[in-house]
Amino acid sequence: MGDKKRITLVIGSGGIKCVAAAGLWRVLQEEGITIDSVVGCSGGSMYGALIANHVDEKVMGELSRTLWTSDIMSGYTESLKASKDGSLRFNEHSGLVDDSVMNKKLREVYGDLKFSDLQIPFKVVATDLLAGGKVVLSEGSVFEAIRASLAIPIIFPPWDVNGRLLIDGAASDPLPIDVAIQDGADIIIAMGFPLDYRSRFRSMTAVQEQLNSIYINNILTSTYAFYNLAHHAEIFPVIPEFDGTVSMFDVDKIPLVIERGEQAARKQMPHIKRLILE
Amino acid sequence: MEIIDKQVDGVTILSLTGSIDAMTAPQITEFIQAQIAKGNTKLVADLKGVDYTSSAGLRVLLGAIKETRAQSGDLRLAGIQPDVQKVLNLSGFTNILKTFADPDAAVASYK
Repeated sequence: MGDKKRITLVIGSGGIKCVAAAGLWRVLQEEGITIDSVVGCSGGSMYGALIANHVDEKVMGELSRTLWTSDIMSGYTESLKASKDGSLRFNEHSGLVDDSVMNKKLREVYGDLKFSDLQIPFKVVATDLLAGGKVVLSEGSVFEAIRASLAIPIIFPPWDVNGRLLIDGAASDPLPIDVAIQDGADIIIAMGFPLDYRSRFRSMTAVQEQLNSIYINNILTSTYAFYNLAHHAEIFPVIPEFDGTVSMFDVDKIPLVIERGEQAARKQMPHIKRLILE
Repeated sequence: MEIIDKQVDGVTILSLTGSIDAMTAPQITEFIQAQIAKGNTKLVADLKGVDYTSSAGLRVLLGAIKETRAQSGDLRLAGIQPDVQKVLNLSGFTNILKTFADPDAAVASYK
């Protein structure tokens, strides 16, 4: 057996689908695979933090039911109308949603938790709205980092962290394998979620949403190719498969999503274990 | 990893069986290098028997493609299984590789 390989878990953006990480976490624990660090982006940061804090996978599923409820979109329809008739003035701090509900829910889960409190080193990827680059957060409040990484442009207001206005990490690095590479990981287990495409468009915002999905999926593909070629060891993609669309507030599908995450993880296990035991 | 080679119409078909990963990548690289050294630069990798490829596998394929193309040859893939196809799609490799349903079609593409 060779030197102990450093294992990093990366959970990419993907909204409610990111709860599939609970299934992956279940498999890793069952197989006795110890994770050395965790990286999360957007929805993936929510579950990355829970894994880094050794939260039970069943609890992760229960928390998800309270987090992904439609009231986090409070004010969206009214703001959208107001933005069209000009009564809502938009600037770099704006979002269509009143984020107070989402912030309250996130605070209930993550409270005053700090990165330094976590059991496993954890990093969150967000994007600098003004400079455009990726920002890696690994100090201070876990809530602040997750809130920043979740800020889907236009929908949720950006979040100020240390004087930088941050938005969704998916805008720059939807599956941030590079963070793990930079930190010296050998084995990288990367759970990613290519976004679904629409087939019908009934509004301008639907087209905008589709464009965002196209952009993010293309960033995912091109960065994934580069990271694969750049890495010295192995990247194991864990890509759960879903028969149909899983919408943002499909809380009833949470058990299914976790199951699919578990299935995708089990498929990779023989290969991961083979390399660990090399 | 089992690799069997055969010549068809001036093209070398490499039939691979097993997984392409960090453990098997050196063996595959060595085998392909030996083919190139013999002047066999028109290659077809028959992946019908390959159930899995990892990031190390992708690096092997890309290295072979670059080297053979630099010598007016190519590495073309045939018989790709669903799980391998997914990795090739996710990494965008299908944009730079030529893929075929079976080795016969891949060999014919060199004409």
